[in-house]
This record gives sequence, C-alpha cells and structure tokens, in this order.
Amino acid sequence: MSDELKSSMSPSPDAEPTATRSTVPIWIIVLTLMLLFLGMVYFDHHGGWFDSQVYGPYASAEQLEAYQPKSGAAALLAVGKQKYEQNCGICHGLDGMGKTAQAPPLAGSEWVNAKGFNRLIRIPIAGLGGPIVVKGETMTFGSAMVGIGQAMSDADLAAVLTYIRSSWGNKQSPVTADDVKAVRANLGARPQPLTSDALKALPE
Amino acid sequence: MKNGFLVFLASLIALGGSWCGFVLLPVLQLGGQKQTTVLNASELYPVGRPGMANQGLQVYRANGCAACHTEQVQQNGVACDVVLTAAGKGPVAVSNLISSLKLNGLNKDAADAAVDKIKAAGGTAEIHIFATGPDIARGWGLRRSVAEDFLYDDPVQLGSVRIGPDLAGVGSHLPDANWQLVHLYAPRSEVKDSAMPPFRYLFRVQKMGNEPSPDALVFPKGSEPPAGYEVVPTAEAQQLAAYLLSLHADVPLYDAPFSQSVAAKP
Repeated sequence: MSDELKSSMSPSPDAEPTATRSTVPIWIIVLTLMLLFLGMVYFDHHGGWFDSQVYGPYASAEQLEAYQPKSGAAALLAVGKQKYEQNCGICHGLDGMGKTAQAPPLAGSEWVNAKGFNRLIRIPIAGLGGPIVVKGETMTFGSAMVGIGQAMSDADLAAVLTYIRSSWGNKQSPVTADDVKAVRANLGARPQPLTSDALKALPE
Repeated sequence: MKNGFLVFLASLIALGGSWCGFVLLPVLQLGGQKQTTVLNASELYPVGRPGMANQGLQVYRANGCAACHTEQVQQNGVACDVVLTAAGKGPVAVSNLISSLKLNGLNKDAADAAVDKIKAAGGTAEIHIFATGPDIARGWGLRRSVAEDFLYDDPVQLGSVRIGPDLAGVGSHLPDANWQLVHLYAPRSEVKDSAMPPFRYLFRVQKMGNEPSPDALVFPKGSEPPAGYEVVPTAEAQQLAAYLLSLHADVPLYDAPFSQSVAAKP
C-alpha cells in the first residue's frame, strides 16, 4: 500500500490528510515513453516533415512526386489546344482552315506537315510576311504575321506546334521544348520577319 | 510566493512553446509563400483579384458571409483511373485484358501495374489522377485548398461553419454574374429550399423608364418584380458578385495535383 493511501486512511477521520513524496509507478513512465514513441512513429509516417508543399492526403514529398500527373500526349495536346485558341485561332481559325485575306490554312498545309520542323518553329518566333504557296495556291495577305511565339515559353510553343501537327487530319511527330529552345537560340533575341523564300533556303 | 521562479519558468515554457507552434513554425513553413504556376502549364497562380473583386472581399466580410460559408475544400484521398489511349497491335488481346482488369479508383501502384499489363499486351494507356472525398463529390472543387489559394486575400475568409455550401470554387461552377445577383436578392428564386437570407438592401427597386436599365437583374420566370419596376444592384452588390466570380481555386497545382483531363469532364 502506498504512503498516500496510508495517510488518508488514518484512524481519525478529522485528521488533515497530508501528501508525502512517493515515487511515480514505473508503469506510468513506461506507458508515457511508449506513447511518445508511437506518436513519433506516426509523425514520421504522416507529417511530411514540415514540407510546405506536402498536404494531406499525401504523407511525404516522395509520395506527392509519385502522384504528379505525367505530362502525357493528351495533356500536351490539351495545353496546345488552349494556347492555339488563345493566340493563333483568331487568324488561322479554330478549325485550322485559315481565313481569307488574313492567314493561310494549317490543316493539310505542307509547311505544318513537313517531316522536320526546323522551318515551322521559326515562323511563330520570327513572324512571316509576303506571298506564300500553301497547298499549291499562291496566297497574299493584307498584313504580315508577327512573331507571336516570341512571348510564349518553349514548352507552350512546343505544345501549340504539336497540336497543329496532330489536329484536323495532320499526323506528324510531336515538337519538344528542347527543339524550340535550340531554334530560338539560333534565331537570336530580335529575329527579323521571314519570307517564304528565306524559309525555303533552310533545311526542313 | 513559494516556488515563484518555477511558476514563472513553467508559464514561460507553456506560452513560448505554443507561440513556437502556432506562430513561429507556420511562418517558417509558409511565410515565404509565393505565386506558383499551374501544373504542367506556364500560367501564374494565383493572379491578383481585379479591383472590383477586391472591394467585394470587404463586402463579403462586412456582411458576415463567412459565418455560414467556408472557402476551404477538403480532400480525403487521391485515386487513379487508367484510360486506354490506343489498342495498338493487339486490339483483341487488349480489349480482353481491360475487361478483366479493374481500371477505376486505383492507387498509384495498382494503376502502374495495370498500365504495364496493357503495354505488355501491345496497347498504350494513361493514368488520370483525381482527388476524392465528400467535398469533391459535392462538386465544390476538383482538389483540396492549399496555402497558395489565399495568397492575396486580406483578410482570409476561411470560415468554419457550413450552413451554406463551400465557396472556394463558386466562380467556376456558377460563373453567371446575373445568377449570383438574383440569388443574393432573392435566394429562393434560384435555389428552391435555400436557407440564405435575402440581401435586398444591396439592391434598389425602382420604376422602369422607357426601357430597362442595362444593369437591371434578369429574373427567372415566376419571381419577377411587379410590372413597370426593376431591380438594380448597388455598387456593393456588383463588387460582391465580382468577388464570388473571382473564386475559382480549382486549377491543378504541384501541391494538389490532378490530371487536366479530369477538369475537362462535364
């Protein structure tokens, strides 16, 4: 029997109960340590180590990384479609058929459907003016195309070019951000607008 | 006082400990929060609210909207769908395989295994990642709320009681300004059993001139004002509607990822 109980069960009920210095039972200490340990294990598994980007239901930075959607072909095309409709569709048409006196068609165009895309990448970055032959027809337009791709990131421009190369019946290989980056570096910071002849002089 | 120093020390540790936990650690963790970009795209997120919407935040605050509405979507889990993109060389084998496989609501490992099986049979497949949980099922958002969502809110209107629905993504799923204004003026004309009080003092009922004002509300059939009268929103009502339309915290982010194709689903 502990000292505390002895003192409170003294013979006289009127006696003032007193506390004595008794040791904490060992099992309370062991239980506390076990709970602390379990708490730390739980924290280790679910806390994400205070990473500001890890929120539930993700438990760690690795798990969050594993659940990032891969930018597969479909995701790339979705980005390309959105950027195309935002920037290019006004003149080239949402259906890629071009607009009379504004811009040539992209659907079925030999410029878009070329095996290589060395010439194609230059057009949105540098712009293009003057008459151009598309699908066997010489076309002239009221104004030149400005270098609208100059302000777009490499990844976005690659997505747009991939989109136009694989839409409306076009079936060509995708363009990667690295391809765009290489051509952009080659063109320099302030490229001059191209002409059809200047493009023809370049490899495909 | 007996043991005065011990009492002082104990209070210091208790207060200091909670200050570290509630103030210091969160600041260290999220104090440097900056604009990020939308997942797999180059758009910045979040963009600052337009001026009207920023004033609307103060109207939202002044009218106590946060007493009944939250602006935080919860997410309990994350799941994957495997979507066949091409049957490839062996269409029959692939179609037999996918009819025998479980393709929806998988975890990442199971989804990877299913994609590998489809690849082995000659097809190609993609994994679509989406958030799960009661709030997501109610259509309140496509992902959980994260710190970035509140970067430009001052003060943040998190809310804690849901007498009304969560509004974190209301600008995405109810993007019609007229709907929002009519709903503020007469909630039950738009939502049959709405418990929301009407905010009529944010509107003016006035005699119509020769033709309706350009700002006049267009009511659904059966709840129009009396003939010859029109309901016109005050500047405050328009600011509040602009604020509600600016709430669309449901683009995919690195911290709260989901596949773009999920967003495209109707």
